[in-house]
Amino acid sequence: MSTPAHELAESDRPWIIRTYAGHSSAKASNELYRSNLEKGQTGLSIAFDLPTQCGYDSDDPIARPEVGKVGVPINSLDDFHVLFDGIPLEKMNTSMTINGTAMWLLALYVALARERGEDESKLQGTTQNDLIKEYLARGTYIFPPEASMRLIAEMYEYCLEAIPKWNASNICSYHLQEAGATPVQELAFALANAISLLDLLKERGKFDDEQFERAVGRISFFVNAGIRFIEEMSKMRAFGEMWDTYTADRFGVKNEKYRRFRYGVQVNSLGLTEAQPENNAWRILLEALGVTLSRNARCRALQLPAWNEAMSLPRPWDQQWSLRLQQILAYETDLLEYPDLFDGSPVIESKVNALIEEATAEIETILGMGGVIPAIETGYMKTALVRSMSERMSEINSGEKIVVGLNKWTEGLPSPLTAGDDGGIFKVDEKAAEQIIDSLEQLRETRDSVRAEAAIEALKAAARDGSSLMEPSIECALARVTTGEWAGALREVFGEYRPHTGIEGQQLGLSGDRVEMLRQRVNALAENMGHRPRIVVGKPGLDGHSNGAEVIAVSARHVGFDVIYSGIRLSPDEIVQSAVEEGADLIGASVLSGSHIDLAKQILDGLREQGADEDIALVMGGIIPPADAAELESMGIKRVFTPADYELMDIMEAFVEILESR
Amino acid sequence: MNLAETVERAKGLNKHAVAKLVALFEDTRTSAAAQRAEVLALLPEGSATVIGITGTPGAGKSSLVARLVPRMLAESDLSVAVLAVDPSSHVSGGALLGDRTRTRFATGDKRAYFRSQSNAAELGGLAPTTFQVSRLLKRLFDVVLVETVGIGQSELDIRYLADHVYLVLQPLGGDEIQFLKAGIIEIPDSFILNKCDDPAAGMSYYQLRSSLSLARPFDEDQPPVYKTSARTGEGVDEVAMDMLTVTPRHTDAEREEYFFGRWVEDEWGATGRRYMDGRNLLADGFDPAQAAFGEGIVRWLTKA
Repeated sequence: MSTPAHELAESDRPWIIRTYAGHSSAKASNELYRSNLEKGQTGLSIAFDLPTQCGYDSDDPIARPEVGKVGVPINSLDDFHVLFDGIPLEKMNTSMTINGTAMWLLALYVALARERGEDESKLQGTTQNDLIKEYLARGTYIFPPEASMRLIAEMYEYCLEAIPKWNASNICSYHLQEAGATPVQELAFALANAISLLDLLKERGKFDDEQFERAVGRISFFVNAGIRFIEEMSKMRAFGEMWDTYTADRFGVKNEKYRRFRYGVQVNSLGLTEAQPENNAWRILLEALGVTLSRNARCRALQLPAWNEAMSLPRPWDQQWSLRLQQILAYETDLLEYPDLFDGSPVIESKVNALIEEATAEIETILGMGGVIPAIETGYMKTALVRSMSERMSEINSGEKIVVGLNKWTEGLPSPLTAGDDGGIFKVDEKAAEQIIDSLEQLRETRDSVRAEAAIEALKAAARDGSSLMEPSIECALARVTTGEWAGALREVFGEYRPHTGIEGQQLGLSGDRVEMLRQRVNALAENMGHRPRIVVGKPGLDGHSNGAEVIAVSARHVGFDVIYSGIRLSPDEIVQSAVEEGADLIGASVLSGSHIDLAKQILDGLREQGADEDIALVMGGIIPPADAAELESMGIKRVFTPADYELMDIMEAFVEILESR
Repeated sequence: MNLAETVERAKGLNKHAVAKLVALFEDTRTSAAAQRAEVLALLPEGSATVIGITGTPGAGKSSLVARLVPRMLAESDLSVAVLAVDPSSHVSGGALLGDRTRTRFATGDKRAYFRSQSNAAELGGLAPTTFQVSRLLKRLFDVVLVETVGIGQSELDIRYLADHVYLVLQPLGGDEIQFLKAGIIEIPDSFILNKCDDPAAGMSYYQLRSSLSLARPFDEDQPPVYKTSARTGEGVDEVAMDMLTVTPRHTDAEREEYFFGRWVEDEWGATGRRYMDGRNLLADGFDPAQAAFGEGIVRWLTKA
């Protein structure tokens, strides 16, 4: 008698359960990690603040408003000692969301193990280190593509023998979906990225065939899962099949183990709404199903966002609630007991095949251009993403895509979840930043400055002569070189990169009476003012999530504004100078990092200093809690837009009204 | 603040004041003409130079300007204004002005000023107000760089606007015919082959040279061809130094005459030309000439 189909396999092991966390200071984050581990979390996922991600010290002027806001600030090895206090590195699986400065953070981790006397070769974890998606969507790149790819390659070359269980990078399709990518684009762009990386490793010739095969096995992915969870599950199966094919056919990997598509997931934040935020809990649950239901395409690590992410950074309780969801799914349900539930389903098979066919065609297009680097430099990929995002926004605006509580069934009772004293949102301790800057100053005074300077010089020399930067970086870490100094030294050699904005030539699929009426009002304004109204759209600060700003720029042009889009990572001074020189009527500034009050103040001060505050109105958009919105408006910000203002033409009408009322 | 005060502050290169005057010189309302005359009366013509930088989209003009201007500022104590005419326009009439993104100068330096203009009306050429704004900027700054696509029927405009025209080209994969087909080879005073770090650049350089000797057989000296890379900075110094040595070739009066003629043609065609010829309309300057012409031609046509 044969075993029934549902009993064939041994139970699957649960995935690594993580929460993306870190804020304020190394000390506060260490406490948070220890309490999360006590609650049954099985790995760490470290969120760094933007200055650390972009390679600035906490006391750098561009860094000041962002210190500790979206993650933990790390200035030197001293901070790492505090961050991992009481956490044994050999036993921990640590994932770091770090890209432009990934090599530096890995060097700090290795240096920490060495100073503590732990076995470096036993370290386990991941440095995200995918610069392609930084250029396309997330924005914390520092160096030009060629230098960035060199850093990534050198980390693979170092890790393979020295830290064999470390994932030197994580190919991210996650952020591409957040930037509007369709499932086909997610598949194609991520796989083309991985293929181009392997092509590079092969070309550099540092690995023999056996090593290269193992290096292929170290490629891992970080994927998104949206609300269309059947399609998302099919996407995961397609990923697995396609990776198996490409690693076998293109790279000749014989060992099946090294062809496995290994991936971790953070489910979608883009679709979470500020309207009726409690609904997000269900969205997160359904999205988690997409990446756990199918055993053959199940994730190896999972992070869930919190229900209130569209409103603010989550509080510890919000994160705990998401953690419990994972534990219920893994340990309470029978999910892990069965073999794959979808093998042999004709519906799933057909869906998967359709995705594979379309994605393969797109991959071939990109490889035909010479790989992902040319596709970035020409703006091909960015333009495709901005178009997808504009289409998505158009569909939500027209009601074609239903988002419950946002564009349908919008009447609801007030949520008790947001009724507490804190309004259901998290506030970073402002005092923490001052302490960090004090200890940074102290470090610079007390360290062995001769050793630190020698380490920096050695790093620059290696950058110039093309030898590996890994050991010089570890020496920098041990010598108490700071994050800003490490990145600054390499900036000197490699330069800084400004990528394609992707918005030129974009059209918005919106038309109709509303658009026509707004265009007429803009034309009337142009006649009255003697010039077409001009708006400067840009992102002050270090946060690089540019999608919102891009959609606003495209929409404003769509109704007839002259738009000066200045891109990301601008200092408030640069935004002010753009607006003043260009004779703008309006500045639209987008901030998602939580630093909106500081940045608004700096822009307003700058306008006042230039004597332009009466001529140029400032509006802001971003994840801005209601109390802060009120404060911004009292400071003189003309309008504050949040994710609840999803209707683009409402936003455009507000712009027009501001100018009409002058 | 009154106009005279604004002019005074603009002379000190206060950015807000300069921007306000630029807005006045772009202002399409009839009321603005008198104010423009007032401003011009307060600002002497001076000896500033206007430099034209033309080239197809994607040739790397903006990135090159981003490299050139800081060099010019470092090598001299001159002030430099950039007027970037962006060809992007939309059915709505609005435009995305993207040149600024690629050209980021240091903040707070009064000696550098950057302004974008949209050119919704004319494909590839100068915006209707480019002449107006350039004649303001050249009275405030020492050097005015006008960046424009510069192709199409109005390509001659840039030659009248600028004292020296640089055409920026990028290496081509194809044969020399493409350089000739570009059709703009007869206008420029100098050529810049940008992206010279591209492997195709060496070949393109020699093709361009041979195209030039074919296309411009009557030139006494062949025009200079510079090789640059906005990416690596190669060749930038040489071009920057060359730009600093440009001397004026047109007086304001000559420019006014040409652009008045262009305006007449645009607005009134051949009939306008006939009315204009032989009448000294420009005695009081450009703006009054437009007003006088408008009134005059209506009377002339109704009498005839």
